[in-house]
Amino acid sequence: MKNITNPETSVAAAGGKKRRREEEEEVGGSHAANEDECFSLRIGFCGYEEDELTFSDTSVALRMMRAQFPRIDQASVPPFILQSQLYSSLNDRTQVDRELERLRRDKVVRVFKLNTGQDDHAIIFLDDYLYQVDRIAKRMEENKQSDTDIFKWFKEHVLDSKLEPSIAHHELCSLLALGGKVKDAHITLLINAGLLTRQLIDPDMYWFAIPSIGKLWKALLQGRKELLSLLKRKRHKEMFLAELEKRRLRYSPLDMRFHIRDLIGSGHLKTFQTTSGLVVRVSND
Amino acid sequence: MWQAIQARETGRTPCNSFANQLKSRRISSLQLSNRKDFVSPHRGAVNSLQVDLTEGRYLLSGASDGSAAVFDTQRATDSEASGLIEKHKCVFSVDKGHEHGHRFAVSSAVWYPIDTGLFVTGSFDHLIKVWDTNTAQAVVDFKMPGKVYRTAMSSLAMSHTLIAAGTEDVQVRLCDIASGAFSHTLSGHRDGVMSVEWSTSSEWVLYTGGCDGAIRFWDIRRAGCFRVLDQSVTQLGVRPPILKHSAVSTKVSAEKSSSGAKNRLKTLQSKHTGSQNMKGSSSARPSVEKARQKRLHPGMLSTLDRATAHYGVVTGLKATNDGMYLLSAGSDSRIRLWDTQSGCNTLLNFETGRLQTSKAIQMATSDDPALVFVPCMKTVKAFGMWSGRTTLMFRGHYESVNTCCFNSTDQELYTSGADRQILVWSPGGSVEGEMDQDEEAAEDKDNWSD
Repeated sequence: MKNITNPETSVAAAGGKKRRREEEEEVGGSHAANEDECFSLRIGFCGYEEDELTFSDTSVALRMMRAQFPRIDQASVPPFILQSQLYSSLNDRTQVDRELERLRRDKVVRVFKLNTGQDDHAIIFLDDYLYQVDRIAKRMEENKQSDTDIFKWFKEHVLDSKLEPSIAHHELCSLLALGGKVKDAHITLLINAGLLTRQLIDPDMYWFAIPSIGKLWKALLQGRKELLSLLKRKRHKEMFLAELEKRRLRYSPLDMRFHIRDLIGSGHLKTFQTTSGLVVRVSND
Repeated sequence: MWQAIQARETGRTPCNSFANQLKSRRISSLQLSNRKDFVSPHRGAVNSLQVDLTEGRYLLSGASDGSAAVFDTQRATDSEASGLIEKHKCVFSVDKGHEHGHRFAVSSAVWYPIDTGLFVTGSFDHLIKVWDTNTAQAVVDFKMPGKVYRTAMSSLAMSHTLIAAGTEDVQVRLCDIASGAFSHTLSGHRDGVMSVEWSTSSEWVLYTGGCDGAIRFWDIRRAGCFRVLDQSVTQLGVRPPILKHSAVSTKVSAEKSSSGAKNRLKTLQSKHTGSQNMKGSSSARPSVEKARQKRLHPGMLSTLDRATAHYGVVTGLKATNDGMYLLSAGSDSRIRLWDTQSGCNTLLNFETGRLQTSKAIQMATSDDPALVFVPCMKTVKAFGMWSGRTTLMFRGHYESVNTCCFNSTDQELYTSGADRQILVWSPGGSVEGEMDQDEEAAEDKDNWSD
């Protein structure tokens, strides 16, 4: 498809910064249909009339959104994509689930369950995650002298064979034991590094976590709340998308587009076409 | 319409496909009925609806004020607006004033599957009562250890008349009407059991969904559950591809053929840990676990399996009529479709926004345009079963909807909710309507639905 090359080259050139892209044809909303037809991307930016993103392929969508992830230098978090954002960018949700499953099995991406109380999953490319694990291992090595082999065993044995977002205690111990003698102190080290957490669902299960996600996690929750309250305060609980994108959120360093996509995908907001552009409204279902 | 009939006469369309086309056309035009209305005697949220299985004529409803009522869906008791709107009052109802009535909310009311002479109600007053329909008297009472969330009887049962009861206790009990005692106690869940459903392909298989998020399959002829559904064990598509399928089946057959506890343990652990790693789970792992496990009865090994099907409570279960798939709704607002033979998640994504989290919901399925009717807060949505997209949306209730019941003989949908109403959704524009249009001068101009 000829239009793929356009975004790919701009992804290579963008390096995480947002860019204005040329439009080529109309995209008829998320009912645009067919993967066989040529699609075009009119990615909204400040001052742009319409903002519509319909991708044909999950992996293309993932790469695009990874490139658009805002660079926050204080928090050293790998760029992650929420599953609800994927749902809002592609037509067929079942197809998204299946392709994501395939990518997960091929070890291209990894899925993490975020502890927000709702069904939030974050998708990170495996290379980014492994780079992050290495950075943590190096940092731990500078601070402590011993017991840093645990990160190596973690990477080699656990991450390689356990592709689900959670792992049971005895399984974790047995997998780490393939590397060497494992003690409880080692698991504490992993939890302190932020690679494993426990959630309220099950006291016996550890969940894989994104290291130093705390600040962005809080930003996610507060940003969602702020965006929804912003729209609810309006008389008709709706706003033009272009105007919404121009605003900045006070409590969240993640950009507005991130939150909009996330809320559309999880069903809190819905968009519809009007004669003067796309309107975003709080859904009351 | 007439062309279609002519095609059937001349043999161009086979009879079955003619009937199916007609049915699917009717289903796709479902809207709030402007011809039929149920006068609900309930003063609380209606929690359960079921149309009887023998004739498809009588509708049984159970409500939160402790009352249960039976309606005749085909014959109206009286009519309004010069015969255009039929009102169906209840044939009878049993409520708190009745000497044997329930004292607290009725959470589930089901018909005896063989005929309409008996029906079974389960209530939050810890009792399951079996009622005689003709005399409206309670004939058998079963006392449960906790609030009864759901009761179910198998529609295929030839040799047993067991009532499966899911309560707030962790054990599922099977009550026998013939003897008046409990015949089975199924242990395995770690929290209360909110939904029970018998299999539509085997009279011995029971599916239960618990508040711990697990769905277990039980064969009541043997001890313990034989499958626990895990949402991370997935298959891409309707059936798994041959290669992976053979790997799964060797594990399953190994489990079945071995009788010793040791082998069971090994395959259970390997299934649990190596579900993604289909090719060759390492044998080093099970030996470590073997040393740690206590010796358990082979039937109780499933209690070690802590796989969850949902990240919350399993609020509803529905098996498809062909018995091959199971739909489950959870309080994580997800609906999953499971393949009952392989026990895998088919990864179908139904576009639900939010689902009720604290109460059990009842879903309905229709066969021919394979649709699933799901109550989503105040609306009822119909999803295509194989695409996951919303095909129809029914808005009419004022409060959250609890149950959907689809009557496939008439292609009508009955829904009920917390607003104490039972609404009827029928195909708009019937054949009789088309033919009688010139006869009815005073046409009903009110349009109830949007």
